[in-house]
Parts: sequence; C-alpha cells; structure tokens
Amino acid sequence: MDQKRLFAAIALSIGILLIFDVWNRTNTPPTPPRPQQQQAQTTTPAVPAPSAGTPAPATGAPGDQAAAPATPRPPAARVAIENPRVAGSINLRGARIDDLVLTTYRETLAPNSPQVRLLDRRDSLNPYFAQWGWTAADGRTRVPDNETDWTATGGPLAPGRPVTLTWDNGQGQVFEIVLSLDAEYMVTAEQRVRNDGSEPVSLLPWARVRREHTPQTAGFYILHEGFTGVLGGRLREVTYSDAKSEGARRGGIAMEQETTGGWAGFTDKYWLAAIMPAAPDQTLRTAYRHANDGGGAAGDRWQVDMALPAPVSLAPGASTQMATRLFAGAKEVHLLDSYMNRLNITDFDKAIDFGWFYFLVKPFFLALDWIFRLTGNFGVAILIFTVLIKAAFFPLANKAYHSMARMKALAPKMTEIKERYKDDPQKAQSEMMALYRTEKVNPASGCLPILIQIPVFFALYKALFVTIEMRHQPFFGWIHDLSAPDPTNLFNLFGLLPFQPEQWSHFLHMPAWAVIMGITMFVQQKLNPPPPDPIQAKIFQWMPIIFTFMLASMPSGLIIYWAWNNTLSIGQQYYIMRHDRAAAKAAKATGKAK
Amino acid sequence: MSAPAVMLKGCVHAYRYTLRGVIGANCRFYPSCSDYALEALSAHGAARGSLMSAKRILRCNPWHPGGYDPVPPPTPPKG
Repeated sequence: MDQKRLFAAIALSIGILLIFDVWNRTNTPPTPPRPQQQQAQTTTPAVPAPSAGTPAPATGAPGDQAAAPATPRPPAARVAIENPRVAGSINLRGARIDDLVLTTYRETLAPNSPQVRLLDRRDSLNPYFAQWGWTAADGRTRVPDNETDWTATGGPLAPGRPVTLTWDNGQGQVFEIVLSLDAEYMVTAEQRVRNDGSEPVSLLPWARVRREHTPQTAGFYILHEGFTGVLGGRLREVTYSDAKSEGARRGGIAMEQETTGGWAGFTDKYWLAAIMPAAPDQTLRTAYRHANDGGGAAGDRWQVDMALPAPVSLAPGASTQMATRLFAGAKEVHLLDSYMNRLNITDFDKAIDFGWFYFLVKPFFLALDWIFRLTGNFGVAILIFTVLIKAAFFPLANKAYHSMARMKALAPKMTEIKERYKDDPQKAQSEMMALYRTEKVNPASGCLPILIQIPVFFALYKALFVTIEMRHQPFFGWIHDLSAPDPTNLFNLFGLLPFQPEQWSHFLHMPAWAVIMGITMFVQQKLNPPPPDPIQAKIFQWMPIIFTFMLASMPSGLIIYWAWNNTLSIGQQYYIMRHDRAAAKAAKATGKAK
Repeated sequence: MSAPAVMLKGCVHAYRYTLRGVIGANCRFYPSCSDYALEALSAHGAARGSLMSAKRILRCNPWHPGGYDPVPPPTPPKG
C-alpha cells in the first residue's frame, strides 16, 4: 500500500510539474528589446559584428573573418527584390539578402499592421540573413568577405530577371553570383569563379543562413522551432538550446553531415529560411553552428551552412560553379508540397512540424483545408471535420457508450457486492463476473477502441496547431484570429470592468471559450461512471478546472475544437443513454405483458 | 524491481490520474488494463511486463468476451 502511495505521489508531482511547465511556456512574456546592444550598434555603424570566434580551418567552414575597416564607409548599395509575395533588397556589401518582407502576411490583424519581416540587416534588432561566399583553402587567395562591395548587373531581382553580382579580387580571380527569384519564395544562387591568374587556386564555395539573435520561441512541447532540415533522408531538428550545448562540446558545430540533396535552415512557427543544393543529386556538407560574440545570451549567433565537401582546385584559365537555393518565406503546406515535387527537394513538407503522426496529421490538414476552401471559414471547417471524424468512430463509440450506460445502471449492484465482500476481494471478483454474466453485458467496450482514438484526436489538434493556414482566420463573434488566444476575460467580466487582469498574471486570463470548454468537459465527465478509487474520483472532479486553466491561453481554434468535440461526445452519449432507457422500459413492458 | 520498470509504473500511475479522467475507464477485464500493467511490470519486469500489457490492451476490444484475466505468475527460473 505504501508503494502505491509513493507512486501516486510521484505521478502527482510529475503532473504538477508538467502543468506548470506548459503554463510557464505558453505565458513567457516576450523578451524586452535590447536597447544597449542597439545603441552600441548605432554608434559604430560600419563595424561588423565580431567574428565567430576561431578562424575557420583551411578546409573551410564559412565563418566571419572580416576585418573591421579603419575608416567609415558610405552606406552599402542595394538591389531591390520584388515579386507578388516578397519585397526587399540584396545588400551588395557582402553579397547578402538581409532585407526581406513577406508582403502577403501582416504582423497582426490591424489593417495597417506592418508586413511580416523575415530577413533583416545586421545592425537591426533581429539580424537574419542569407549569404554566399568562398573560403580560400590555400590560405592566400583573396576571397570576398563581409565588407566586399560587389557590382550588380540587372535588377531589380524579380521573376525572370536574374541579377549578377561580380567582384574581381585584383589577383586574377573573378567571382560571380547569379541570383534569380521565382514568383513565390525561392531564390536560386549560382556561384562561379574564373581563374584568370597564372597560379592555381583552391577555393571552397559556401552558402549560409545566419541568425544573430535568438528569436522568441512559442515554446510549446508539440512545436519545434530552431534548426531544421532533412539530411540524408532524415529529419534533423535541433533546438537553439541543444545547438548551444552540443556546439560547446564540439567547437561550435552542433551537427555536421555530408549529404546528397536535402535541405536545412531555421524554422519559426510559421516561417522558414532554408538552403539546399539546386540539383537533388549534388552532395554538400551541411553544418548547424553556434557561436557567441560575447555579451551573454545576446551574443548568440546561429548558422546553417552548406559547402562543397572538399575545396576545388582551379588551374589557370579554369572555372568552377556551385548552385544552391534559398527558400525564405511562409510554410504553406501546398507551396512546400509543390516545391518538393517540382524541384525534387526531399521531404520539404517536413519543415512544418507535423511530428510523429505525420501520416495522420498531413491528410487531416489537407481535408481541413479542402473544407475551408468550400466553406470560406476555417472555424466552420474545424467544426465540420470534427463531426466527420466523430461519425467515423461512431460505431465504436456507440458500443462504448452503450456499455457505459449499462454499467451505470449496474453500479448500485456492483457497490453492493463490493460492500458485502469487502474482506474477500476474490469472492467479490467472482460475484462481479457472475453479475455480468446474468446481465449479459460486459460493462465496457474495451481500452483498445478508446486508445486508438487518442492519436487521431491528437493529430487533428496538431494539424490545427502547426499550420499557417489557420493564422489570422476569423470565427464568429469575438474571435478574429483562430491561432491566437481568445481575447475575452472572465475576470474583468468580459470587458465590462476597465482593466486587464492578465497583465498581472496569466492565471488571471480566463477567456469565454475556455469557460465553455470547461463546462462541456464537466458535463461529459458527469455522464461517465466515476472511478472506483475515491482519491481518483476526487481528482477527477478537479480535472475540468485544471484543464480549463491549463488550456486557457492556447490558440482559440484549439479550444473551440475541444469544446465542440466534447459537445458532440455529450450529445452522442446522451442520445445512447436515452435510447437504452427506452429500450429497457420497452423490454420490461413486454415482460409484464407475458 | 529495475529502474525502467519503476519508471513505466510511474507512467501508468500518471495516466490513471490524468488521462483516464478525461477519456473515462472502459476496461472489459478484471483486473483493469492499468492494474494489469502495474502487476505485470512488478512481476515480470520492464520488457516482458510491457509486452504482456500491450497484448492485454489489444485483447481489450469489443470482440473479446473480457472477464477475469489475471497476470500469469512468473515461471520460476530453470535449474
């Protein structure tokens, strides 16, 4: 018995810890802006961020070996980027794309809200950019660096209008980067070098995506944010904190792999910046890196780079090229699928964190999206799809609820047996079995049918959680964004009182839909037979309240789904119970008539 | 009892105090699947206990008559 209690205590503590953690994570306040750093950067505008620590080895990892120039220079020249979905510019100093806005997405629901900025300059608050370059494997060839001013031909960069960046190192080598853009989010970069000198040179071309700021992550257990990629056919997801600890052990390299095809980059909940070889049969070496430029966590630098597995030796008169792609945009399921199929990018759709239940989550999403296109409202699509899933499980659930209703009718007899044979559990068991036999009922449908349903409903939940298609989609009434928490709050009487309690504590945010969900959960539980164990029964009474608080600040689409799912279960169970009672009455009546 | 077995038992207990409250108890057997799992893990260890519990859950469906189904006692080691 003591052991049982001990385990119960352990289980409870685990439960409490989990609940607390989810709570904490969902409610972490956004990091305040870092004024000191910004100040430092604005006072020394021309000085690049310090180098990424140790100089890159000769065989060459792309690093930041740029020396700070002695004198301030004029601002860098830029070439505009434009297509129907993005706007921005190429920074000709350093050959970077460090200015990219997704023009079809806005930060918030406000009509004049700024468009979502994915890539940003090094002197901004969220430096995030893509860059192409070379490492001199022979240690003497002059290669372009962060301070190199490239010459552009063509432009602006638009679909069908490539831009060529050229730089002559003055020692006989001419470097070229040809950038082209499609109508969505894909940039293709072709890096060429021609050796017009008299000596052979050895160069290692690379492409990278670099993030010089740790983004605020949503921090949910069921959502990956950080390094991601499919390398060697395997999904390789590494969180920022794991990359940091792994990098600390291995000289800044959190992961390194030589693969053919594939892709790698950084993922946020909805956005992705990733690089990949342009040809699926090209072999490149990919690395996930972390470096720290000092200043604690603010100095964390993150990088995904791809380079040729070995440097290329260029005889005089020879030339070489490497072609890569950069995807920088929103993770729309259909778009990623189309790139995956058109450009042969292995498992590119896995940039969306569908998780272990990919085989369920993705079809669910596609079905939801299809209904959404039919109905025009994502909330309605959720409701309809949930009904369809419920209907598919109805035969199983019907059986389950049937027996549950009967078990409830048997409960008094069962407790009677338990009372009578308190001291003889063996006898109680056999009596119970006898009772089932005489009533010709097994009290339950079994654990298996219920357990099968869990992954299915989890998959639906996950589909709603991870996909951008639900973002900024309205529902009825006060829900204007299904992917954001319900803004109403019970504690200020839904806006009647002129204050916002959630500003003091997130425990004080209790939206209307969460309350509705709590009530549906409570009712549903009342329809189930209570657990035999009194302690468990007590805890179960608290479950709806605990869950309501725990899920209160989840995206409202999920809460609505949950409440609707409960409501359907209640309706189903209520219907079956009534049906059962009517059937029992009818049976009694015919029995008497005989 | 081995450490994995203790951990697995902890998981079963955690399930009983959390998820079971949400999805309801539906077992067709006596002892119930979670009781069975706890007992099997204690008596047969983590690997065999897990396997036995998994088989029990697979049995626990509407097409199986259910009823009294205790954990078989461990066979004494040979020799």
